[in-house]
Amino acid sequence: MTVDSEDFTEIGKPLPRREDRRLLTGQGRFVDDIAIPGALHAVFVRSPHGHARIREIDTVEALELDGVVGVFTGKDLNAWTNPLRLAPPIEGLLPTKMTTLPEGKVRFHGDPVACVLAVDPYTAEDAAERVAVTYDTLEAVTDAAAALAPDAPRVDDDLESNLVSRQSFSAGAPAARRREAHAVVEAEFHQHRQTHAPMETRGCVAVWDEGRKHLTMHIGTQIPHPLRGQLAGRLGLSESQVTVVSPDIGGGFGQKIALYREELVIAALTRHLKRSVRWREDRLENLMAASHARENTCRTRASVDRSGRILGLEFEITEDFGAYCFYPANYMSRVVAMILTGPYRIRDYAYEVKVALTNKCGSGPMRAPMAITSWVMDGTIDAIARQLGLDPVEVRRVNMLSPADFPHTMPTGEVLEDISPAETFEAAVKAVDVSAIRRRQGATCDDGRLIGLGFCTVVESTTYGSHFYKSAGIAGSGHEAAWVRIEPSGAVNASVGLMGSGQGYETPLAQAVAEGLGVGTDDVRVHMGHTDIAPYGMGSRGSRGATAGGGTLYLCARKAQERVLTIAAAVLGLNSADTASLRLRDRRVQRRIDDAWQDTELTLRDVARTAYLDPTALPEGVPPGLDVAMTYDPPPMTYSNATHACIVAIETATGRVVIERYLVAEDCGTVLNPVVVRGQQQGAIAMGLSGALFEEVVYDASGQNMSATFADYLLATACELPNFEILHMNTPSRQTPAGIKGMAEGGVMGAIGAVTNAVNDALAPLGVVANRQPLSPQYIRGLIRSAENTKNPRRHGS
Amino acid sequence: MDSRHDIELSVNGDTHRISVQARRLLSDALREDCGLTGTHVGCEHGVCGACTVLIDGRPARACLTYAMQMEGHEITTIEGLGGTDGYSPLQQAMQDEHGLQCGFCTPGILVTFEAYLRDNPDPTEDEIRDVLSGNLCRCTGYENIVAAVKKAAAGMRGEPE
Repeated sequence: MTVDSEDFTEIGKPLPRREDRRLLTGQGRFVDDIAIPGALHAVFVRSPHGHARIREIDTVEALELDGVVGVFTGKDLNAWTNPLRLAPPIEGLLPTKMTTLPEGKVRFHGDPVACVLAVDPYTAEDAAERVAVTYDTLEAVTDAAAALAPDAPRVDDDLESNLVSRQSFSAGAPAARRREAHAVVEAEFHQHRQTHAPMETRGCVAVWDEGRKHLTMHIGTQIPHPLRGQLAGRLGLSESQVTVVSPDIGGGFGQKIALYREELVIAALTRHLKRSVRWREDRLENLMAASHARENTCRTRASVDRSGRILGLEFEITEDFGAYCFYPANYMSRVVAMILTGPYRIRDYAYEVKVALTNKCGSGPMRAPMAITSWVMDGTIDAIARQLGLDPVEVRRVNMLSPADFPHTMPTGEVLEDISPAETFEAAVKAVDVSAIRRRQGATCDDGRLIGLGFCTVVESTTYGSHFYKSAGIAGSGHEAAWVRIEPSGAVNASVGLMGSGQGYETPLAQAVAEGLGVGTDDVRVHMGHTDIAPYGMGSRGSRGATAGGGTLYLCARKAQERVLTIAAAVLGLNSADTASLRLRDRRVQRRIDDAWQDTELTLRDVARTAYLDPTALPEGVPPGLDVAMTYDPPPMTYSNATHACIVAIETATGRVVIERYLVAEDCGTVLNPVVVRGQQQGAIAMGLSGALFEEVVYDASGQNMSATFADYLLATACELPNFEILHMNTPSRQTPAGIKGMAEGGVMGAIGAVTNAVNDALAPLGVVANRQPLSPQYIRGLIRSAENTKNPRRHGS
Repeated sequence: MDSRHDIELSVNGDTHRISVQARRLLSDALREDCGLTGTHVGCEHGVCGACTVLIDGRPARACLTYAMQMEGHEITTIEGLGGTDGYSPLQQAMQDEHGLQCGFCTPGILVTFEAYLRDNPDPTEDEIRDVLSGNLCRCTGYENIVAAVKKAAAGMRGEPE
């Protein structure tokens, strides 16, 4: 379906967000704001060890405390709940099983071993400190290399080794290309462990209705319906016995997708005790035990000709997945491998993906689960330029896909179309004035600063339709569901299976409905996050909100408009085939007469009144009411693209990286609401820069988490982040409703690549390369010192 | 630890008579005993700034303050900002400039700058960023918050947009 976006009246308007009023006046409603009279408060007792056998859990002292209702351990919970079995039919992936609480051994620092319930949270905390757990500590494995060593201690006793997943792939003949190559360029990329750190931590309130045998779970979740299915399955309830209600969410970034063990414990206890139970994790728990992400090491080997053209590319990625599999372990790294070649013309390609279990918090998808992709690819291009003494801009041009190449099938079979990487790249090059920066770098610089320019071109996989899951061997669906209901008064309600976690869905999704139906955005209200109200959809993940959610709503609203016009035609005494000469615009039925649209006497309200209150007046075959529902499965993938450019100054004395300028040329197709899209671009770049420069989850050799406060796990503040210049480009998708594509994750991908490439451009005269993040002052200063020592060993030798 | 104390909390001009343990945090007392859930708790160790309230007009962390310490002091929370007709200039500017996304950190930012702009009506961008560095935001990248504060300041000085 193609739509001329020029004709849109609602889609594309920069409307302010509807959520803002309640959030700006203190009337937001987050989980912890929901008062449930008599609810008990839960606190978890957690492992202080990275790896240990549980010998005994003594709860006597805790139970003696006034106000304590109970202390529950794995023995209790595992009898009341079913374990999580992950055994999708994926070659090279070991099946795993996780109980609700561990009974035999703990696998990471923060692993929950018991849950204390009390009448208030202070008492529950006191009691948790009185639970005495005796452990026999075990040797911990705290990085992927140690985990994969022969005879390494096993993280999961049920598995033969810690290598929980391994896949490989080859297209063309990369080994042959290596033999023919002018040069073979090798590069390494170490991405460190990070965590989502939403400002609102996890939490939930569970209410059990014994009379109806029904569980209501108030929980901030990105995926209400799949979570309901998980809860019902783990508790042995029917999906008709569970309602998931998601209120306002204080950020998710991928952390609020899985059903975590703590949440399942709360649900099980509320049912067992027939009393409401609530849990709010504290920040220490969130940083230590919620979900981590990103830790992986990549190696590339590029076979190139004299001009830097890539003849063949070989790629290895090894991910440290932590102790538990809440997702199939191949989930994130394999997508990196599948889309690595991105905007570049590479035919001969091979990859190997390895995922290791370690004694750390389990990993999951975090905004741009494939974040490292563009750093690895554009970092490899820069490595080629360095080794061959070529201009990095020219090496990009030599390899970049041109407009004539599309649709382009990547070596892994993924198809790119309706993207514009060469255009965004040239726009970024033009905007930064490369030669001016080269002149600055060439000038004698005695102010103790090194200047660097980095580019990173991103091809961002978004939406993830069902066919992608199928071809990637991942169980799951990418479809979405919506309903649009015009009420008897003409008011428009709509719903979709998404759940926003702060993006601001309520306005752009209302714009999609308004556009499809022919009303104003103010006339539409979109309801989300309640499983009894919303249709079963797959929720919010993988930048699917706009295409899957907005697209389904738009199509559903168009279907509703068709229904309205069919009724209008009958009321106006027209032939039912004459709906093509009718349209709904701004709540009025209009008719085309002599190539001009003219108002009829009918409004949406008139049609609605007929549909609901005078159904005998409806044409034959048209059912009473105006209630339209539909599902839609988007294309396997939609791709957005962007080029990021970053200029940094490194203070040589301290190693501090200062971002002088940051710009991005971005093409994400039809934009539902530019206010929201710009906010998503800014937020994604900020998260990428914060992660690349400052954030780091640190474990010591025994598996102790050393970074469980915001004084240790450093998020970028307003003083460290620049303003972002954004150049908009627009290539609508021809495969989706209204030309929509996804976005909101590519900013992370581009940021970590652009800033690191800029740092390496600055360091190039010293002959050192930063191949790991974070780009902390200590790390950068260490690289500079090593270069100084090499150059002048006597002066710096001590 | 168990003994309770009857105290009066003066919040946004209203008096709340509540009974608290000595260790009860001001943030918990505001949210649970006074029913003012607009003050959010993001870290409970004084770094993130989400729980910031005004104590006698000065910004302070409600998660690092005991409720009992607040007798005889005037507390202002997010619910106390803005007039009866709606937004304060800063709230309006935050909406206009898209200065919030999930909105969890927003109350702390608003009360911080309501106080700051009263004393510093014409701040530079660097000064705004320096003050804002006491509040963590995971969604916005801060740029639009800075723009909102600038816009609110200009409006409060009576300058045209």
